[in-house]
Amino acid sequence: MFVKPFRYVRVHDVAEACDLLRDEEEAKVLAGGQSLLPLINAGLFEPGLLVDIAHVPAMQGVARSDGYLEVGALACHAELASNAEVRAGQPLLARAASHVGNPRIRNRGTIGGSLAHADPAAELPLALTALGATVVATDGRTVREIKADEFALSYLSTQLRADELVAHLRVPLLGPGWGWSFTELSRRSGDFAIVAVAVLLRCADGHVLEARVAAAGVGERPVRLGGVEAALSGATRLELPERLGPVREVDPASDAVASAEYRRGLLATLVRRGVDEAFARSEEP
Amino acid sequence: MTDELVLTLTVNGRPVTARGGAHLTLLRWLRDVVHVTDPKYGCGEGICGACTVLVDGEPVSSCILLAAQVTGSSVVTASGLSNEDGSPSLLQRAFHAHHAAQCGFCTPGMIVAAAALLAEGGNRSRTELREALHGNLCRCTGYGPILDAIEAAYAEGGEAGVG
Repeated sequence: MFVKPFRYVRVHDVAEACDLLRDEEEAKVLAGGQSLLPLINAGLFEPGLLVDIAHVPAMQGVARSDGYLEVGALACHAELASNAEVRAGQPLLARAASHVGNPRIRNRGTIGGSLAHADPAAELPLALTALGATVVATDGRTVREIKADEFALSYLSTQLRADELVAHLRVPLLGPGWGWSFTELSRRSGDFAIVAVAVLLRCADGHVLEARVAAAGVGERPVRLGGVEAALSGATRLELPERLGPVREVDPASDAVASAEYRRGLLATLVRRGVDEAFARSEEP
Repeated sequence: MTDELVLTLTVNGRPVTARGGAHLTLLRWLRDVVHVTDPKYGCGEGICGACTVLVDGEPVSSCILLAAQVTGSSVVTASGLSNEDGSPSLLQRAFHAHHAAQCGFCTPGMIVAAAALLAEGGNRSRTELREALHGNLCRCTGYGPILDAIEAAYAEGGEAGVG
């Protein structure tokens, strides 16, 4: 609680923020602060300057454009969980947001912050990986697009350079014929997931045409499960269990919360449940 | 861009202007600078809920929010939930009547979280109440009487319970 003092500045546009990140030593971006402030309180991080971007107008809100949701990096979890455009256009994202932390964290925490923090068990980076979303990053001068599944490099590290921000996310809308699911197991409501699984299935005439399956909590970043996706191709709902065995393409680690073996078993269970739920949802009118 | 900032917030209906370190969380600013001590420091991670206050009506963890982030906002703490004449609100009376405090450390956060739920209107089943309050921990495990109190406040006056 007794933290080393630091300076604070509130900025009103992206260029101003990025200039400060370039010019000031030990400067760090502050948005909702729901991951950053716990690190500071625990003495794990001692910034020199926090650059508060929460009031940058260009990074707010959610808008629907041609085939996509344009999600501002500053959209908070509560907004994503309740926003009518998100719930209708990409319900998997809304559901994932409703799993984050507790109501207080959801009121302040932002989707851009969750991505930039890159906790390997976090819900929103997992959802964006499954959805094939694009991260739009900027250093205030140029803009670059990064695929969501390539954005995180490892535990708490990403492709973002020190003077870059996540500006917004481009999330594909849920097309006709697609079903989805988001399942996770955590020890207590509000905890980070031990394992979480996001599934998108496109089905027609009772068969899987296309599958997107991703998992978090089984490695250093969220991963697409290409082997699972391939195995589902052409399956009917009744054939799903026989198509899904142990998931061999991940190598989870043991930690204080769960052993590698437990995580592996849990992953197989959640994939089976999640795929069935997504299939059922694809058949809803 | 300074080490110290002069911030003005409305605290429990009263405008307060005070100078403090830019690094102060809202919780420390409230407790150490303006001496509003009902919100408590528990975990420092936003998990336990002992520091819960309302900022512009929304519950937040004041231990992981800088005062500077919410300058200009209206903050309500547990003591600010009382009626205008200083008497306990319906919700506060319900906590008292149902013995919804044991050691009392979680109570200021718990009652603020409950007030936010009541302010949303509607009604909630006991299961929904448990889910809505999952972010407020009582280490005495006195959840039963706490839920009893909130249910009673819903039954007796709903939104009026906010006082």
